[in-house]
Amino acid sequence: MARVSLKNIVGKKNEVNTAVLALIGQLNETTWIEDENGKLLVGNSAEAPPSSFPVNIDNEIIGWVKGDERSIMIANLLGYLAQKEAEKKKLGTEVLNLYQELNVIYNFSEQLTQTIDPDIIAQLTLEQAIHSIPSHSGVIVLWNEEKKQLLIPAKSGEQLFKEEQIRNNPGVLLKIGLSGQSEIITDLSLLKEKGIIESDVHSLIYAAMKVKHRIMGAIILAGKNAEQYSAAHLKLLVTLALQSSTAIESAMLYEKNIREAREREEAMLRIHEVTKKFVPHEFIRSLGKETLTDVKLGDQVEKIVTVLFTDIRDFTTLSEKMTPEENFHFVSSFNARLGPVIRSNNGFINQYLGDSIMAIFPENPEDALRAAVGMQKAVHELNKERKEVGLPIIRAGIGMHTGSLIMGITGDEFRMDAATISDTVNTAARIESLTKYYKSPLLLSDHTLQFLNGQNNFHFRHLGSVKLKGKNNLLSIVECINGFDELQFERKLQTLPQFSEAMNSYHDQQFENALQIFQTILTNDPDDLTAHYFLTNTKKYLREGVPKNWTGTEEMVSK
Amino acid sequence: MKNLIKQKVMEQKILIVDDEAHIRMLIEQTLEELEDEGVEFLTAENGEIALEIIQKENPKLVFLDVMMPKMNGMEVCRRVKKELELKDVFIVLLTAKGQELDRQRGQEVGADVYMTKPFDPEIILSKAKEVLGIK
Repeated sequence: MARVSLKNIVGKKNEVNTAVLALIGQLNETTWIEDENGKLLVGNSAEAPPSSFPVNIDNEIIGWVKGDERSIMIANLLGYLAQKEAEKKKLGTEVLNLYQELNVIYNFSEQLTQTIDPDIIAQLTLEQAIHSIPSHSGVIVLWNEEKKQLLIPAKSGEQLFKEEQIRNNPGVLLKIGLSGQSEIITDLSLLKEKGIIESDVHSLIYAAMKVKHRIMGAIILAGKNAEQYSAAHLKLLVTLALQSSTAIESAMLYEKNIREAREREEAMLRIHEVTKKFVPHEFIRSLGKETLTDVKLGDQVEKIVTVLFTDIRDFTTLSEKMTPEENFHFVSSFNARLGPVIRSNNGFINQYLGDSIMAIFPENPEDALRAAVGMQKAVHELNKERKEVGLPIIRAGIGMHTGSLIMGITGDEFRMDAATISDTVNTAARIESLTKYYKSPLLLSDHTLQFLNGQNNFHFRHLGSVKLKGKNNLLSIVECINGFDELQFERKLQTLPQFSEAMNSYHDQQFENALQIFQTILTNDPDDLTAHYFLTNTKKYLREGVPKNWTGTEEMVSK
Repeated sequence: MKNLIKQKVMEQKILIVDDEAHIRMLIEQTLEELEDEGVEFLTAENGEIALEIIQKENPKLVFLDVMMPKMNGMEVCRRVKKELELKDVFIVLLTAKGQELDRQRGQEVGADVYMTKPFDPEIILSKAKEVLGIK
């Protein structure tokens, strides 16, 4: 009951005071009012009053009215006024408490909006709870459904909750934590037995943390005193629990979303990396795009490039002697050796076609030539290793041509592929096949030669022109000798001027002269298969004569 | 008959100004314990009445709500601080949350302290004790 003092009712300059003074004046007798300690409040005191009447509120005396027997009316009146005042104060206190509670919830709400970290939210909640509901200790327990474990994201106050025990024996606390109930409990025998809480805890107050369809956990506060918690406390705790549950749930969902987004991003990155290995990045870049996902049907670009084909000689015969698996390994290891050579010379592999490789050098024909020489060296190395284990050697032919090329994305909506379409590709492929014809490992077209920078370390032999099947224009074929091993290269370099002379004579149908020179060349370099080829032809023409309208051009009968 | 209660020569007065009765009551309730220190509570439900009381009773501390009919708190504060220049009156402006712009205006009209509603009773009490010099 709020404390009401008689002094506050009559002691001040107020209406009650004025009215009482008027009343006393009307009595014309000596009447005065004292507080419960005998202190004079209103009027003048005299020695011995005839009567003393108490002023009561609920059997408690707060003062006296002293005078004749009529003073009782004043005493009763004051008693009534005091009662009213007491009720007013009581109401006022209740409203104030409510207001304070409102303030707490308001502020707490504001705090919750400032953070999206679930652990921080839990900590804030517990601190607010302990501040508003005085307790010796508190914890928040949450149940992680995924990992099937009990989490304690926040704890505060004295160590009244034994964490070790809780982790070992989650069941007991879970029963409270996941009960979905909110209450004050004083029968703590089981919990104390299991060692979950200290023995000097008198009562627990807890409120369930729930969201829509599931129970997340609970806020649990512990108090050592008897009568520590009231219904009002429980109400407040339930409100705090409700507010924080939604906040924590949102925060956890947010974290989950961020995590998943990051995982998706990483997966996407991995896919990008992988696609680069299947569709050359240089191809995509040439189309002005950055990634495979940017590319669309119909994208295309035209460029002057050097196309290079390489092929394994007599592969069919070779593969007949191997099992499919051996075949696969063979081709794989072949490709694995040549790939890096191409890439390190600014080229990219456009396609693997069985035992054949098609590469594109977008920048400079010299890149292609360097790569070709490097590839020949790689084949030499391979053959050394094969000889050591008694395997037959490999011969590979390389042909290249420089010209305009269209790279693009072709196909239909559901099946697209990167394609290169142009005559340049066909020509390059035909030149490559000529390598077996001329018995030369590395051939290029005159076009490529023209695109080359004049200052280069490569040496060439012109082999005349050909008229490819199904085409009208003549193609001038050139051999590059840099790929031969040291000895062969030196010899060919030396015989270079003679070879040139011999080819000129051959072209001018001066076959005797040509014959002589070719023979000389072969004496110095018996392994010059190309010279041998021309020698054979020269002999044939000497014997049979040239065909009608022969212009020194080889007519390619087959591709 | 004389009232023998000696009134403190410098009895401290607190004026509570708000158009809402429950706020006036709540603030008075919050500061209840100061009554024992001889503090007198005065109330006003609008700005005009508040001005009259301030000039007549010279309260040491005024809790002044901003949103009121007839004359709002800002105007009352301005008149007291800038026009009448009553330096001894400590003014606490009270306003609803979210009206942050009022904070600046409050400074302009010379308010001493600015608080938002719902107010924190603990802070109201401690500020009152501070201004009145009560422990």
